[in-house]
Amino acid sequence: MKSKAAVLYGIDQPWVVEEIEVDDPKANEVLVNWKVAGMCHSDEHFVTGDMVPPKELLAMMGVDDFFPFIGGHEGAGVVVKVGPGVSSLQVGDHVSASFVPSCGRCRYCSTGRQNLCDLGAGTLTGGMITDGTHRHHVKDGRAVKMMAKLGTFSEYATVAEASLIKVEKDLPLDCVALVSCGVATGWGSATSRADTQPGDTVVVVGIGGIGVNAVQGARMAGAKHIIAIDPVEFKREKAMEFGATHTFSSMTEAIPHLMELSWGQMADRVIMTPGVLHGDMMGEAMTMVGKGGTCVVTAISPMDETSADINLFQLAMWQKEVKGTIFGSLNPRADIPRLLDMYRVGDLKLEELITKRYPLEDINEGYRAMREGENIRGIIVND
Amino acid sequence: MKTKAAVLWEVNAPWSVEEIELDAPGPGEVLVKIAASGMCHSDEHLTTGDLPFALPIVGGHEGAGVVEAIGEGVSWLSVGDHVVFGFIPSCGRCPSCSTGHQNLCDLGALMGLGLQISDGTSRHHAQGKDLTLMCMLGTFAHHTVVNEASCIKIEKDVPLDKACLLGCGVVTGWGSAVYAADVSPGDTVVVVGVGGIGANAIQGARLAGAKRIVAIDPIEFKREKAMEFGATHTATSMTEALPLLQDLTWGTLANKVIMTMGVGDGQLMGEAMALAAKRGRVVVTNIHPAFEMGGANMSLLDLTLMEKQVVGSLFGSGNPRADIPKLLGLYREGQLDLDGLVTKTYPLEGINEGYQDMRDGKNIRGVLVYE
Repeated sequence: MKSKAAVLYGIDQPWVVEEIEVDDPKANEVLVNWKVAGMCHSDEHFVTGDMVPPKELLAMMGVDDFFPFIGGHEGAGVVVKVGPGVSSLQVGDHVSASFVPSCGRCRYCSTGRQNLCDLGAGTLTGGMITDGTHRHHVKDGRAVKMMAKLGTFSEYATVAEASLIKVEKDLPLDCVALVSCGVATGWGSATSRADTQPGDTVVVVGIGGIGVNAVQGARMAGAKHIIAIDPVEFKREKAMEFGATHTFSSMTEAIPHLMELSWGQMADRVIMTPGVLHGDMMGEAMTMVGKGGTCVVTAISPMDETSADINLFQLAMWQKEVKGTIFGSLNPRADIPRLLDMYRVGDLKLEELITKRYPLEDINEGYRAMREGENIRGIIVND
Repeated sequence: MKTKAAVLWEVNAPWSVEEIELDAPGPGEVLVKIAASGMCHSDEHLTTGDLPFALPIVGGHEGAGVVEAIGEGVSWLSVGDHVVFGFIPSCGRCPSCSTGHQNLCDLGALMGLGLQISDGTSRHHAQGKDLTLMCMLGTFAHHTVVNEASCIKIEKDVPLDKACLLGCGVVTGWGSAVYAADVSPGDTVVVVGVGGIGANAIQGARLAGAKRIVAIDPIEFKREKAMEFGATHTATSMTEALPLLQDLTWGTLANKVIMTMGVGDGQLMGEAMALAAKRGRVVVTNIHPAFEMGGANMSLLDLTLMEKQVVGSLFGSGNPRADIPKLLGLYREGQLDLDGLVTKTYPLEGINEGYQDMRDGKNIRGVLVYE
């Protein structure tokens, strides 16, 4: 069938909204009509090239050209068709995208770490999870790769069952879309990975779609102080609405205040959620971590960056730890429904995250607004 | 097709080894040629009525074999694959499976029915009647048809007559020590009852670094076996163990007490709790009669003031899809003894003799081996 989609043809180019061809689902695949797509910073990383694998790496994976590429990995939609062997979904079901698939059978899925599912290995290589072939083609017939094998910047997409989580129909799809990546990633960074405890002092660096949810997570986990750091005033204001107790425009500005606020003990948890993380930011981040404290690295760094400014003497002597996380160390199949239920009872703010809605045609305007710091989260809505 | 199976037609009757009719696998199901099956105490609970399942039933839930045919839509198994059956299925999608507690998979709710997961009907028939399956498996048979959710694929280098033990007893015992009790290096651990479960609780406690492992069993042969598996001391009863433990631990008692008797008895919980140290944990792994009267005889004041804990454990709180391959890896490296667990092997026809040997306390584990 035909579908409208936002296609990226190369680094530093705009998204091109055009018609693509979508094939029917094969075994263990589902055709989804994406109703809502979140405009996450991770998709922007393909425009800037931060997340485009270098040529040599692509060659190793048997991929000659990374582009054309359809973005979008935060999404919610409705099942239109199911392929043979699909057992967890039916036509008409509402689904959340899950940018890490969960097979439910590998070692990681089997031990409560679905965010590390072995099927995630091929996320950037293109081709279906099921059999490695392509279901999406641009006008000239070339196969097009899909962000996280989801491509929520397309109205219709054929997706593996392993990447879809069924959700109840009473939930607004724009809220479902937000939970599918940014909310879970931020919230889990504070709760599951940082393991924020009642009474903790928590610092969140960078208040976008991830950071603001790390603030929510820290609040729900009982943090005493939540210090939100962002250079943009609008975002600092937003952070206060989501539960921050203090805000600062930079780590440099925050450090002396943190010292005073904590009687010199500094923060129990520091969560790194800037738009792009560079190794030279880690020095100040680690300065903010107290004895026995934890620094969680959630943000994306450029793929080829290999050094971080960390004082290893202090790491050892003050027993600090640095921990990475993907998807906030949560389990998509358990935690996406769990977070949506917290929204239902009013504990989790979701509507308040949406700054502006855009039709797919305005995707480039939406990303401009994100770059300028105008949005906490912009979303694409397909009518 | 026709195959041979041990069927229980009524409570308190022997197993009847007879020819049964087996249908082809339906959607999501596989036909498995079973190589071997452990003779677990839980199947004995069927014959005594302690586990009130629908009869007639094909017994057996500790099995391993080779996939001979696959039904429609089977996506993770192929003909020729070696599999161990998980006595609890794991769908991989329910809340328990999604958070690392596959032992509590929601599909387990269907277990008591003993019918096929896919459609609630039976593939096994005899004498014009539908047969149910112990744990939806029925490993006391040369062939069975089961859902792929119950099959864990394993590497082909491991002998199936040893691998079958991983389907229930070994993981249940090992995990009771490693996961449910959370044995830490330096702990003093008591294991009450040294059968197929208890022997593996000892192995788990040893690998987790326990300093002392006190094994309790009235039968001398089992106490000797316990020492081979890594126990440091033995006693014939909890009453006898208490002064020994007081002496060994300078009065601080056991960090972990693991209950792995043939049949649990609520009246003994007080004695078990008395073996536990301050903040000590008692793990209840063994099966208690479903309609046990009188509850558990234990002091709740002791629980509060000494911060003791009582923890239940199913399948050793392990994840079949992760832990069965993990333990086979330990076996391969010589860190888990499976060979020593098997006291005697029997053909399918020897099943009643095998259970008599179990009742007589002659076996750590009897195993049915099919040609």
